[in-house]
Amino acid sequence: MNAHAPILSVTNISKQFGGIKAVNGVSFDVQRGEILGLIGPNGSGKSTLFNCILGQLRPTEGHCRIHGRSTDGVRPADLSLMGVGRTFQQLSVFPRMTVLDNVILAGQEHEGSMVSRLFGRPDAGLTAKAEQLIEFFRLSPYRDTEAGSLSYGQQKLVDAAMAFMAGPEIVLLDEPAGGVNLTMLAHLKDRLLTYNREHGTTFVVIEHNMEFVMSLCTRIIVLAQGEIIAQGSPDEIRSNPMVIDAYLGG
Amino acid sequence: MAELIQILISGLAAGSIYALAAVGFTLLWQASQTINFAQGEFVMLPGFFVLIGMALGLPMWPAVLFALVLSLLVLGAAFKKLIVEPMLPHGTLPLVIATIALGLLMKESVKEFYGATAQPFPAVFPQTVYNVAGASVSAQDIGNLIVSMLAIGGLQLFLNRTRTGRCMQASAQNPGVAEILGVDVKRMVLYTFLINAALATIASVLISPIYLAKFSNGETLGLVAFIAAIVGGFNQIRGALVGGLLVGVIDNLSAVYVSAEYRQAMPLLLLIAIILLRPQGLLGTKEGRAV
Repeated sequence: MNAHAPILSVTNISKQFGGIKAVNGVSFDVQRGEILGLIGPNGSGKSTLFNCILGQLRPTEGHCRIHGRSTDGVRPADLSLMGVGRTFQQLSVFPRMTVLDNVILAGQEHEGSMVSRLFGRPDAGLTAKAEQLIEFFRLSPYRDTEAGSLSYGQQKLVDAAMAFMAGPEIVLLDEPAGGVNLTMLAHLKDRLLTYNREHGTTFVVIEHNMEFVMSLCTRIIVLAQGEIIAQGSPDEIRSNPMVIDAYLGG
Repeated sequence: MAELIQILISGLAAGSIYALAAVGFTLLWQASQTINFAQGEFVMLPGFFVLIGMALGLPMWPAVLFALVLSLLVLGAAFKKLIVEPMLPHGTLPLVIATIALGLLMKESVKEFYGATAQPFPAVFPQTVYNVAGASVSAQDIGNLIVSMLAIGGLQLFLNRTRTGRCMQASAQNPGVAEILGVDVKRMVLYTFLINAALATIASVLISPIYLAKFSNGETLGLVAFIAAIVGGFNQIRGALVGGLLVGVIDNLSAVYVSAEYRQAMPLLLLIAIILLRPQGLLGTKEGRAV
């Protein structure tokens, strides 16, 4: 595969629900190692586009490709095998399992044969890797704590650690800052930036929290009424009158 | 004192069999939100499968194996495929009604096929009675207690110490995310139904020598197992275990020290007390549910 080829390619995506066009002719590429932010006011089509990228919604027109492979109709489990990680808007931990077990589980289905699943080590040999990620997200004191008993922000960190466990090349983060307090948010941003720097992993972030997006992303695409109205660096987006207009409705 | 020891051991032995059925209740609930009101009949039927096997000329233990295979197919796979899967999209209540209907169908079918009289069932353990500190303790009670505990302990180990067990837990706690992580959730749910069928078969083989094989055996058993599951905590296997043992002991104690006539009311009183004082059950945890 060409090293300069985009890792994610969105081509002329449209999605119509009855008479309403939620996404209209959106195209963009995401390069390896990039941190792309997708922002826009409520109803701008961000979540619809996100679900089209993940193959959970079939576009009315156009297609999304990850590593050159269409995501249209791909099962969620296969997306993970394609090297795509994701976090969820809602909490997605297994509440009555420990933090360690949560993180191991996020990687174990990618390991081993049918036989090793039945007879192999119960942790699939992933404890050391899981502990590294737990340490990376500074969750070590909670390693053996049931995930459901952690604070909301800590559970978001567990969710993030789980997204990285299978060694994805691209991670789609769905409102990672939602409901997280400022201290935890700064910590999450720091960890994501560090991971991106150390591993070159690509991120696509959908987010409402403008400050978080501006300080995390290298490039930002702004959607309004299902169409791209602006894209560029955080500074360019900040000063773009169309973006200000779309957000303030003026 | 000797009498108390005797009652306690006998209660624990009966309770351990209730626990097998109660654990099945909790497993099905966690894996697929199925409240199986045919659970009593699920414990009644494998005993008759054993009798059918023996009528076909099989010795007892091969007949038990025959019953286990039939139970896995009928009470596990077919129950899931033909009853639960079609009914579940319509909500919990239609499924509950379907399982009540299934229980009636199973009971009446056995009555029609095998008759209303109790059928003799071969003993699993020797009919020996031991003297323990002056108390008479039967080998059957000890055997029932040990086999039930081993079955539940083995299940706990399987769920906590194997990859498949971990995937089953994940599927029960958050099926959407488990599927995205690559877990074959449908297969894990099937495993749960198969385990429930296996537990029901063990319970049936243990309890049928005591009550003999009778079409109506499931009536009390299903109710008691349901109470045990709620008392212990519907979302915890160890809760179902504790609930089963507690109900068994209270049932036996009340038969001797309160009134044999009111013994069946005691588990219900316990149920009411738990619902009022600790609705999540003794070992259960509170769960939020989106509506």
